[in-house]
Amino acid sequence: MTQVPVLKVENLQTRFKSVQRGKFVHAVDDVSIELYPGEIVGLVGESGCGKSTLGRTIVGLEKASSGRVLLDGVDLSALSGSALRDSRRALQYVFQDPYSSLNDRQTVGEALDEALVIAGTRSPDERDRRMKELLDQVGLASAVRDRHTRELSGGQRQRVAIARSLAVNPRVLICDEPVSALDLSIRAQVMNLFLRLQKDLGVACLFIAHDLALVRQAASRVYVMYLGKIVEHGPSQELYDHPGHPYSQMLLASAPEVDPRVEKLRKGPLMIGEVPSPTNPPSGCRFRTRCPLAVDDCAKAIPPSHSLSPGHSAACIFAQDLHCGTRSAIHMQAA
Amino acid sequence: MRDEPLLNVSNLTVNLLTAKSAVRPVDGVSYSVRQGECLAIVGESGSGKTVMNFAPLGLMPTGVTTMLSGSVKLEGRELIGMPESEIQKLRGKSVGFIFQDPMSALNPVRRIGRQIAEMAELHLNMTPRAAEARALELVKLVGISDPLARLRQYPHELSGGLRQRIVIAIALAGEPKLLIADEPTTALDVTVQAQILRLLKDVQRRLNMAMVLITHDMGVVAGAADNIVVMYAARAAECGPVDKVLVSPRHPYTKGLINAIPRREDPIGSEFRGLPGIPPTLGAPITGCALAPRCELAVLSCRNIRPPLVRSDDSAVLVACPVVNQGKAAA
Repeated sequence: MTQVPVLKVENLQTRFKSVQRGKFVHAVDDVSIELYPGEIVGLVGESGCGKSTLGRTIVGLEKASSGRVLLDGVDLSALSGSALRDSRRALQYVFQDPYSSLNDRQTVGEALDEALVIAGTRSPDERDRRMKELLDQVGLASAVRDRHTRELSGGQRQRVAIARSLAVNPRVLICDEPVSALDLSIRAQVMNLFLRLQKDLGVACLFIAHDLALVRQAASRVYVMYLGKIVEHGPSQELYDHPGHPYSQMLLASAPEVDPRVEKLRKGPLMIGEVPSPTNPPSGCRFRTRCPLAVDDCAKAIPPSHSLSPGHSAACIFAQDLHCGTRSAIHMQAA
Repeated sequence: MRDEPLLNVSNLTVNLLTAKSAVRPVDGVSYSVRQGECLAIVGESGSGKTVMNFAPLGLMPTGVTTMLSGSVKLEGRELIGMPESEIQKLRGKSVGFIFQDPMSALNPVRRIGRQIAEMAELHLNMTPRAAEARALELVKLVGISDPLARLRQYPHELSGGLRQRIVIAIALAGEPKLLIADEPTTALDVTVQAQILRLLKDVQRRLNMAMVLITHDMGVVAGAADNIVVMYAARAAECGPVDKVLVSPRHPYTKGLINAIPRREDPIGSEFRGLPGIPPTLGAPITGCALAPRCELAVLSCRNIRPPLVRSDDSAVLVACPVVNQGKAAA
């Protein structure tokens, strides 16, 4: 990929003051990611791993304590006032719950008009034209304009929320679990909408989700996050087929199977315990407390990222073995 | 195992009346669960799966008038028309509940141990001391490490998975014969979900309880349930053994739901499969098949005549689709 990334996050750190005095929670710890134009990239991990905080920090909903967010090569932290506002427009956020992200008292038309006014579209005729275009882009009939957002179903509301974020012609969408509040039969429709937006408008999308199967199909590349750090990233097919980090491997194997015949064959693995508190993360590799492969060395230093194949790397001392299949976190568990 | 099912629901209809509107979230549904069996009830939000289980046990929001018809028999006793004071004795005793969100199911200002012991005192007439001992036993049963320390903690000190284990312990405290789990793993991560499902299945088998697992997620069904009822718009679309319904679904809705789950072999960037359209809103009962506007098999009669749930070519599986069932007759 010789392209220039549209969004580049460098060594980003977001910390919150802990209730324990003088302590900090490192929700996002030294994270670097890249997004190329027109690409859907997945960000997966358990709840509490910092994936939403990372998304929120990128758009400026949380303040980064260190590190940089570059949009088209421009460092957002160096900007202020109207220059920052102008740049931020290119970066939009789609929230998980379309029931709380829209104002119930507004009609769809009002909700979109508001976004267009903020986007700087002055002429009412122009706004009207854009509104029709936006509704069309997200697959809503123009008749919904006069309906209140509260009258709409979850899927329709999420479409309105997406239309609002598109009003400012963004280059990057940060989608935080955009379909997990939706019913199963509706999810596919909204996912296809994202695929279409990416194709038609060339919007790059950081897709934050816990549903691994959904991410695999939509994203060309995936980042796996654990306790504030990216532990593995790579092209989705490659990462799903040959994970190089025990966490990725176990996360992938935890997804339930629909077919009872397959489910019965599955012996494990059960991931032990839950994500430890980010206030006192384990020393060295953060996953070591739950890792069946952990050895003494894991506690000593944070494992460096090992490159496994082009664009695929994992931060585990056994990454190479896991990747080529000579070692497995799953078989260790079953034994 | 006795022949008589522990829970037998037949032709249950629930009408809810509020000051403004009347809805029928459950429309003539029948199913049964035997001791030691797990039944999964799968449906989208608004399909009636939760109301169907909670309304007969008197668990409905205030300000809503609930009208029930049909029959719900628990151990041969009819629940419909039973006075509230009698039903109250069943809740927590014969029937244990597990709710979706463990944080709101627990009392935030009382210690874990007390919350479990309270149930044993109330339903098993135990002394406080005996109840505390029982609480310890239960916490061990649900696989919590360092049980003595946990009993002295408050819910906010625990992670989501541990809280759900506590909710399960509370549900088990009254030695229920039937466990109703409403989306027990929806609020949890996949990794923890697998642990909790395995635990539920394990205690259900060990205590030989009947379990009703209410879920919207087809993925959790295969590992836990023996039988399945698929609900769509207040009615049962298909029911039968999990091995059969999930492997070869017959009803177009069941097919659609299973087909909508992304598979490993789907190419990256390919279209997601799903059902077209949106589920109907629950207002007046629908005359024909509720799925007709979204169904590619639908014929004219589907819109006019409500399809009955009848035996398919496999006698264990019941399907409410005349088109599918007709195909059977022709074959």
